[in-house]
Amino acid sequence: MSIELFLEQLEALAQAASKAFSEAADSDQLDQARVEFLGAKNGRLKSLQKNMGAVPGDQKKTAGMKLNSVKNSIQEAFEAAQSRLSSASGAGERDLKFDATLPGNAFHVGRLHPITQTINELKDIMGRLGFTPAEGPEIEDDYHNFEALNIPRAHPARDPLDNFYLSVAESTSGNDSALSGNPLLLRSQTSTVQIRVMENTQPPVRIVSLGRVYRPDTADWSHYPMFHQIEGLMVDENVSLADLKTVLKLFASSYLGDEVPVRIRPSFFPFTEPSVEADYYWDGKWVEFGGAGIVDPNVLRSVGYDPEKVSGFAFGLGIERLCMIRHQITDIRYLFTNDTRFLHQF
Amino acid sequence: MIVSWNWLTEYVELAMTHDDLVDRLTMSGLNHEGTELVGSDHAIDLEVTSNRADCLGHIGVAREIAALYEIPLNLPDPQPATCSESISQVCSIAIESAGACERYTARLIRGVKIGPSPEWMQERLKSLGIGIVNNVVDATNYVMFECGQPLHAFDFAKIKDGKIIVREAQAAEAFEAIDHRTYQLTPGMCVIADSENPVALGGVMGGADSEVSETTVDVLIEAAYFDPLTIRSAARKLKLHSPSSFRFERNIDSENLDWASRRVCELILQSAGGELLEGVIDAGNPPAPREAITLRYCQLERLLGIKIPVDFIAPTLEKIGLAIESSDEQSVTAVPPSWRKDLTRDVDLVEEVGRIYGFEKIPDNVNVPMSASYRPKADRVIDKIRSVLTAAGFDEAVTPSLVPQPWSDAFTPWCDSPPLISSQPMLGVLEEYSHNIGAVNLLRRSLVPSLLEVRRINDYRSNANVNLFETAKVYLPSGQQGIPDQPLKLALASHRDFFAVKGVVEALVAAINPSATVQVNECNEALLDASQSGELWIGEQRLGWIGLVSESAKKQFGLRSEATVVEIDLGVLENETQLIARHANQSPFPPVARDFNFIMDEEVRWASLESTVRSENGPLLESVKYRETFRNEKKDGSGKKRVLFSVVFRSQEATLTGEQAEELCNRIIANCANAHQAILVG
Repeated sequence: MSIELFLEQLEALAQAASKAFSEAADSDQLDQARVEFLGAKNGRLKSLQKNMGAVPGDQKKTAGMKLNSVKNSIQEAFEAAQSRLSSASGAGERDLKFDATLPGNAFHVGRLHPITQTINELKDIMGRLGFTPAEGPEIEDDYHNFEALNIPRAHPARDPLDNFYLSVAESTSGNDSALSGNPLLLRSQTSTVQIRVMENTQPPVRIVSLGRVYRPDTADWSHYPMFHQIEGLMVDENVSLADLKTVLKLFASSYLGDEVPVRIRPSFFPFTEPSVEADYYWDGKWVEFGGAGIVDPNVLRSVGYDPEKVSGFAFGLGIERLCMIRHQITDIRYLFTNDTRFLHQF
Repeated sequence: MIVSWNWLTEYVELAMTHDDLVDRLTMSGLNHEGTELVGSDHAIDLEVTSNRADCLGHIGVAREIAALYEIPLNLPDPQPATCSESISQVCSIAIESAGACERYTARLIRGVKIGPSPEWMQERLKSLGIGIVNNVVDATNYVMFECGQPLHAFDFAKIKDGKIIVREAQAAEAFEAIDHRTYQLTPGMCVIADSENPVALGGVMGGADSEVSETTVDVLIEAAYFDPLTIRSAARKLKLHSPSSFRFERNIDSENLDWASRRVCELILQSAGGELLEGVIDAGNPPAPREAITLRYCQLERLLGIKIPVDFIAPTLEKIGLAIESSDEQSVTAVPPSWRKDLTRDVDLVEEVGRIYGFEKIPDNVNVPMSASYRPKADRVIDKIRSVLTAAGFDEAVTPSLVPQPWSDAFTPWCDSPPLISSQPMLGVLEEYSHNIGAVNLLRRSLVPSLLEVRRINDYRSNANVNLFETAKVYLPSGQQGIPDQPLKLALASHRDFFAVKGVVEALVAAINPSATVQVNECNEALLDASQSGELWIGEQRLGWIGLVSESAKKQFGLRSEATVVEIDLGVLENETQLIARHANQSPFPPVARDFNFIMDEEVRWASLESTVRSENGPLLESVKYRETFRNEKKDGSGKKRVLFSVVFRSQEATLTGEQAEELCNRIIANCANAHQAILVG
């Protein structure tokens, strides 16, 4: 047999085998094809191999090389077909040593404090309602914390025992700072920011202030001597309780994620008149929201506004209470102990 | 204030249901806190705001109900019979401290027979949870809960010389009250004394000596008006709070003294017999007449946001006790009643008319004009910082602004002045471990010590990988007048090592401004390790401090493992922040990268080496990256180190040629040799 004929037969066999393997629709058909082409006894490759003997001696080497390469390619075609049929994805055989159910590499994303998360959300909601955040000092003077807010000297809120009045170490006057001049104290409410903003801005004003406030309650499950408040203020021509009620309803609905009824009922605060307590209706009952009211004319006058020309509303809410209700936190002290297991919940 | 349903029916007809009544009261300002059934009676708990002393008695609440339901209010008109003997012949009153007691009245009943009070009175008092004593004491309590005026009955036999002196307490004056405890009085408190001793602590509690007992025959009835502030501070100082002090603190009706006095005498005469002496001793001054207030109707709509029918306004004011002087289409002028001291201005009447009309009628869907709002730069910066830090695995902590002395002294990098001291300490904010550390009364000058305490708590609870940050104000007294500086700071406390934390700071700065770089200078802070610490700077601004907590500080704060801390001034970060990033063209040409390995003295700092590498290479030098430091004393000698770094060159204009790169590299080698005697390793 001439070498040409032998090579030709090999080539034809390779093509036929490749076609048969790639057309095999299941493992049975593939096995039949395997027996036909690669069968150890009567396979076509085996039969063709026998023809090698007829190839002239000096051309045996070339013929052998071609035979090997065709053998390999047929084997590869078979394996390719086999793996095609064994897994639909063609991704290879499953290695049992690889356990995909093992956990991924630990990667801790830090958490914002739940108070911060609450503040951010409230700020966001108020921002959408047109209220710009405003900042004020935590150390305040008596004037901004009380006087300008229409809280008279005899008012119980000014009792030295109910406030963190401040003195400097060298000062010999000590606690007398509570009684003299315009003493300093840690602000007991964020309403101080209203005064600072209005002192420096002409109406219209639409602000929201948030931050730490301080009252000397002994810490227990529901009290802490430091807590956070949010305070909204809107001053313009003809701002009324109807505007307040509307804004509070939008605010509560945004916060709770559903339209909720809001009610206001009379209350008393020195810096608002009328003063109201606002409630929202949730889970079948009225829940206290916070204090609010129409800014008292004395407050407007103290910042140089004319109460005959402008009016405004203000409202204030305790952040801790909102945060604790939302997350079902049962003890306010957890918020300030900062156990990381506590923090990682939020 | 607890009110009894049955008792209220004495003044108003309660045809409504209980639930309807408490709803209406809640919506008009007396918040319903709960109701208990007591026998056949409802004990209704109403929250009375501090401006409404008039509602600290049943009549006040009944008046509200009459106004709300537009029904008549029936009040008793006590006119007890008197005998011919006159009180002025046997008793005298002198007010020596008029500031504490504006007005003091007394009546005297002779020949009472002490015994139990009538059943109907006992039942009503029991509904309120008030203890039953005898027919005289119960009557004084009854009238107090009826009209809000506290009253006191003295055993007249115990009042020496029949003299009542209202005066300031003397220093350390001892007084035994009805509760049989002895109180040390101080000046500023107001006592009722006879010619020798205090017989009552004015407006707070009577004395044990002059208490009405089974042997009492003659009873002196006090009805007085005490100054709210005096009463409040006395009650608070002595921790002695009574229904009487509660009412005086809230500024009761000073015109009602005589009515209350007659009313209690009438009740005592009915149940204990005896004879009322003719007349009353009325010392001090009756209250000044009230000024009229004009309410302009336009104010109602302006402030309430609703139109209220004109014919509703004046009758409502009248119902709650105002005397109408005049009215027309635009306004009404009326004089407020003595029991409503909170009504002085038109805006006060706006609230009155509004709340009786009903705040529930105010709409919650009016058109509030739209308005743009702005996020302040400080908020945006802090948001960026928080997102970088949480991405870096740091959890946010919130800790109290006041700290005890040892923490206050531990780290004071921003300020040499002593801390501000609070008059009150924060109570209950320390973990048990730290209970002996001292009062929490100093305003902190750094956040780091507070975070170290949080770290300790977490160590103690075996919480691993604790990385914390806090943003809060610190308080830096300057010794000058006015409000002290209270800048916002950021602190970190991490279990990670110095360079891991420094990397976080660098990422933070890169996030707020890609072109800002952080330099570290030496620092000397006792809280921090001597080598692994430094001051952080951005250009000419001091950003803060970073360092490993020193061994001694670790002990002081009870830490079980290493901690790296940072404190940064957020003001500097805010200054540096580039809120809106600016695009620069990126070169399309390939870079040329070269690694260098220099031997140099141990003293050479990386920062100075890097700046040498960067010098004279202009815009072609894209980056310098530190890789590693090796030390091989045998080969290089002692005090030497090998520093490996990579440099990337790239041009905006063309692909760099081999010769250009060679030239740049040679310049680096020469400059490093010149500046640092650094020798390139083959």
